[in-house]
Amino acid sequence: MFDIEREIQETRARLCLDCGKCTVVCPVAQCDPDFNPRLIVQRRLGHSAALPDETIWSCLSCYMCVERCNYRVAFPEFIRALRWEARTQGYQVKCSHGGALQALMHMMARDGLQQDRLGWLPADIELSPDCDTVYFVGCAPYFDVVFSDLGVSSLEAVIGALKLLNRAAVPFKLMENERCCGHDLLLQGDRDGFRALARANMEEFARHGVKKIITACPEGYHTLRVDYPKLLGDTGIEVLHLTEVLAPLVGNGLELGKLEKRVTYHDSCKLGRCSGLYDEPRGLLKAVEGLDLVEMEQARDKSLCCGGSPWANCGLVNRQVQEWLLGQAEATGADLLVTGCPKCKIHLRCAQKIGDGKVPQIEIQDMATLLAQSLGAGGKVDG
Amino acid sequence: MGSADVVVFCCNWDGLSAVDAAAQARLSYPASVKVVRLSCLSRVHLGLILKAFELGADGVMLLGCERGRCHYGMDSQGVVQECQKGRAILTLMGIGQERLALTPVAPGDGPGFVQRVNDFISLLDRMRLSRPASRV
Repeated sequence: MFDIEREIQETRARLCLDCGKCTVVCPVAQCDPDFNPRLIVQRRLGHSAALPDETIWSCLSCYMCVERCNYRVAFPEFIRALRWEARTQGYQVKCSHGGALQALMHMMARDGLQQDRLGWLPADIELSPDCDTVYFVGCAPYFDVVFSDLGVSSLEAVIGALKLLNRAAVPFKLMENERCCGHDLLLQGDRDGFRALARANMEEFARHGVKKIITACPEGYHTLRVDYPKLLGDTGIEVLHLTEVLAPLVGNGLELGKLEKRVTYHDSCKLGRCSGLYDEPRGLLKAVEGLDLVEMEQARDKSLCCGGSPWANCGLVNRQVQEWLLGQAEATGADLLVTGCPKCKIHLRCAQKIGDGKVPQIEIQDMATLLAQSLGAGGKVDG
Repeated sequence: MGSADVVVFCCNWDGLSAVDAAAQARLSYPASVKVVRLSCLSRVHLGLILKAFELGADGVMLLGCERGRCHYGMDSQGVVQECQKGRAILTLMGIGQERLALTPVAPGDGPGFVQRVNDFISLLDRMRLSRPASRV
């Protein structure tokens, strides 16, 4: 049941001092004067029975506002709660991509589903079926189908990550029937859908005796580590990001190779501001001999969002934010924009494709793919 | 157990003319078949296909003009691509790519439409019996 008082308590919304810092740093507010995190909170606190506020669907959930707020008011989470409230009142979100991703997520939540999602797994990946560590692949196999016309492969990054783990002698297994983590349903305010996916995943984890999860997907990492325990209580499972596992092993079991490239690294919102993992990815990139890492104008906790959305309400504002980010990347003079997030790559590539040649066309590559390439072990998907 | 639920997305031209011809000739097919008329099958995208499955369809049939006969000159490239994506998703889901059929039909071919939809339902019924756990 939706309870506005509980949401206000949990997000510290009443601590808002009306200072407006959130709005100054918000990338959406810079494009759309109607969007204002501070006023969204004010309007909802002032009118308990207000109609759904249309502007709530524009939030990117990039956490730039939280980073800057003196009282750490959780604006994105408050807005997420308002989206849930709007859904309970019958408001429907405008789905991007014809609603294909939403339909996929709902179908994946069903009981009795027996997926066949590991057909891409190369024969040379070594699995350890008896260990209690699972590598959470995420939605990459599905993304590669839905976004096949964009020319991005999310599975390449997964294969690169698995090869890196093999090289570092970190044992793991894969689950044939893992589901979407539910991050995007949660972000859209579809808590029932999220709950169904979370329960289905927890059942799979229990069936496989999972004690530790490694994943390279920043959204999956944050959802499994933070949102699952919030919903279900302590899951008893340790969740680690790929970079947290690999960074301490550099020079101590993992020797990265050589690549003569100049790259810039994009901190995805969920890995950076939400999880504080800034140094681990950079440490891995710097460990590649010959790799020159240059920073964008906005980096680390000030990094721009990729302008993506939970597959909903994508429009001109998102395009503008994406153009800013790609412009910053190109201004560094780097050959490659490296990101750790498959969705950032999809959103930015989409902006490049439909940008009519005016959007900077810097090549975008996933971090795990790049690191695997330095080992002479790229992650090409067969077929 | 009733017949499999089938959503037929049919184009306004040869697809619909075949469905209409079947009705004019009073040919019968199961009531579990729901026909959704579109201007052209190029209107069909992955989201529509998956939404039908999400809402409980056992199978989706895309009924349109034969190659070279599209009234908008679009032919079938768009829908072929979306159909390939849909079939790949159904395979990943373990539900079976056969549940999505792209079916060209000649204009006014009522018996042909009924034959194809009945064959499709038979296929879906056999799949339901062989894989009850994965029923959509």
